[in-house]
Amino acid sequence: MNKNETINSSSREAIIASANSMRWEVGEDFHDTLMESIYSDAAEIAAKTVTKTDEKQIYHWDQKIDRIVTSKLLGFPIMFLLLALVFWLTVEGANVPSAFLASILIDTIHPILKSASAGIGVPWWIDGVLIDGAYLAMAWVISVMLPPMAIFFPLFTLLEDFGYLPRVAFNMDNLFRRAGAHGKQALTMSMGFGCNAAGVIATRIIDSPRERIIAIITNNFSLCNGRWPTQILIASIFIGAVVPSHLAGLVSAGAVVAIALFGIFLSLVVSWGLSKSVLKGEVSAFSLELPPYRPPRILQTLYTSLIDRTIFVLWRAIVFAVPAGIVIWLVGNIYIGDLSIGEHFINWSNPFGLLLGLNGVILLAYIIAIPANEIVIPTILMLTVMSAGMVGVGEGSGVMFELDSAADTAKILEAGGWTLLTGINLMLFSLLHNPCSTTIYTIYKETKSAKWTLISTLLPVAMGFALTFLVAQIWYLFAA
Amino acid sequence: MVDPITALIFAGLSAAVLVVLFLPKKGIAARLRRSKLDSKRVLIEDALKHIYDCEYNKSHSSINSVAGNLNISTDAAAKLISRLEEMGLVVSETSSINLTAEGRSYALRVIRIHRVWEKYLSEETGVSEMDWHDEAEIKEHTLTIDEANDIAKRLNNPLFDPHGDPIPSSTGQLPKKIGIPISDLKTGEFAHIIHLEDEPNSIYAQILAMGLYPGMQVRMISASNERVVFEANSEEKVLTPLFAQNISVQPTAETAKVYEDFKLLSSLNKGEEASVLGISKACRGKQRRRLMDLGFVPGTKISTLMKSIGGDPIAFQLRGTTIALRKSQADLIFIK
Repeated sequence: MNKNETINSSSREAIIASANSMRWEVGEDFHDTLMESIYSDAAEIAAKTVTKTDEKQIYHWDQKIDRIVTSKLLGFPIMFLLLALVFWLTVEGANVPSAFLASILIDTIHPILKSASAGIGVPWWIDGVLIDGAYLAMAWVISVMLPPMAIFFPLFTLLEDFGYLPRVAFNMDNLFRRAGAHGKQALTMSMGFGCNAAGVIATRIIDSPRERIIAIITNNFSLCNGRWPTQILIASIFIGAVVPSHLAGLVSAGAVVAIALFGIFLSLVVSWGLSKSVLKGEVSAFSLELPPYRPPRILQTLYTSLIDRTIFVLWRAIVFAVPAGIVIWLVGNIYIGDLSIGEHFINWSNPFGLLLGLNGVILLAYIIAIPANEIVIPTILMLTVMSAGMVGVGEGSGVMFELDSAADTAKILEAGGWTLLTGINLMLFSLLHNPCSTTIYTIYKETKSAKWTLISTLLPVAMGFALTFLVAQIWYLFAA
Repeated sequence: MVDPITALIFAGLSAAVLVVLFLPKKGIAARLRRSKLDSKRVLIEDALKHIYDCEYNKSHSSINSVAGNLNISTDAAAKLISRLEEMGLVVSETSSINLTAEGRSYALRVIRIHRVWEKYLSEETGVSEMDWHDEAEIKEHTLTIDEANDIAKRLNNPLFDPHGDPIPSSTGQLPKKIGIPISDLKTGEFAHIIHLEDEPNSIYAQILAMGLYPGMQVRMISASNERVVFEANSEEKVLTPLFAQNISVQPTAETAKVYEDFKLLSSLNKGEEASVLGISKACRGKQRRRLMDLGFVPGTKISTLMKSIGGDPIAFQLRGTTIALRKSQADLIFIK
């Protein structure tokens, strides 16, 4: 027994030693060789057993389409036209259902709930927290978010299903490569124009770790669906007002487009900076498959884009909006001394806000409306009315509201001390601030990393502070 | 209200402070991180490495060579050697300094950590080729041998570092030195580069800039005292003999795989067909595995389908699918 063991262990060692020395001779190429032999075996088996029908015809069509959509002459125009069409359909198509949902959820059900709770004698603060706070925030998010997403996502998915989107990535890769990013980032960026949370999820199509994190961090520079209305409203009130009225529409629309383009520019610049600094150690591997074209499966696309993207994102937004609604109401209704805690914060942060060409109301609104950019303007209006002590407008302390006419909104904001500078800087800050909490949560879910989540959250807000500060100080310098 | 000029100046100053603090490599934060290294331990380990290197290359180490290699004064080097002797790691003789068994195994551990870390950087990260050596120079003094063994295990126990140096096994074995300087090749002889010396940095950077890498096939054209001319990737490369000393090759007289008349995939024109010969050794890690998964293996028929608007990326057709690659990757695939 004992003797056996010694023989075994000594021979085992000898075997291991000889294996070790043989490894040096074999070298490291055997992994490659193994892979090659698997492929050649598979090819041999396939050649024996698989019969091919004539695929020439299909290839022929594919190549014809490819030649057009990637051509020097037509490649970019087709891409811009298609994307513009998608955005136009989204914006135009969403107006009616959004108004319809708002009239039901906010103008009809909200008063009914209020009178019902008054009827059964619910205490005012429970009624306030639940109906004016939680319910209203949820109603707002649904009515503003649902229609555009329900139009945008299916349209986008149809283009994807048809096989066109990989060609966009193919066309755009040259530009994005120079920024240290992946061509597919053009797609996740476009998706971000619909919703940043959905854009972040869409980065799953980027299979290179470094480029994927770049796409996640920079997605917030795509002006999302929740920020377009803010941009349009503020541009028409403040930018449109400084030019002759017949140009107002054109100039304010131009200002919004300029902000969106500035966002794209920043996302390229930041991509480049990230790939050269914090991300330079991450693995990068490029390949882009161009799948064959096929007729889109319309019903399946509708179903998956509604369930996987729209409802999924909407649900996450609601989950975050409800507590925020409660916080918003409480901020306007908990008093310390004579003032609500909201007013305390506004007074305290106002000097800092002015340094950035903003004000305390805007800063507070961006903090408490973090779940969704959609409720920033209603929150700003509520807080302005509250802190300026206006009578006769709004729905009361802590109750968000919006006005139908831009002129009336302008009156409230001007009474709150807003100037052209406030308008411009709000537009800049709306582009450059932390992502909404739905997106932050999604980033964490996708990266599983506190570090990248923190960077994606703080980088844009730091850039926003820096930029608005510079604009404001230079403005003050020349205005003085 | 703060005066705008004061505010702007203040902001400019804070930005400057941030830059000074966090500039990569030269910033205060980066310096602090480096200064955390135990400088005594670093000196001891670097000296052992140097003495081992001399032993491996069959040259003699001395107090002067240690001082030169570690960039310290001769006095400091003499002190360091006597300290190593006290520790029982080296035995100093008149003509040279020799490692004890313990010293040799210590040196091999440090070298193992260094080379495993270089291999890790090349396979699992996107850290650029120029930075591998410098990062490993720091890591070899902070990583424990157990951590290095774990990393080696995850990398399937690699045998060579990305410069072609053998990695000492966990039991401290290292094969005998093989390979000859590239200038020793006979005219017309085929060989593979097996090692690029990564020190000094300036020469290494120029070797890299020429596109040379371990595993690359070369063919000698002519070697004289003034210059060494050889063919690599079907291009003519010229080196001074000094640079040629830093490139070791192994002649491939017996091995069958001599690629003649190969081209790079990036040179395949639209509509042309070719077959894949192989992927360059310079394509590593995830990128290499991805390409192999996609079917870029020897014998695969491949044709160029179309080029993107700027000429990069390029779409190729292989095995019934269309795959777009960037030009920098297509440069690393050999075709015939």
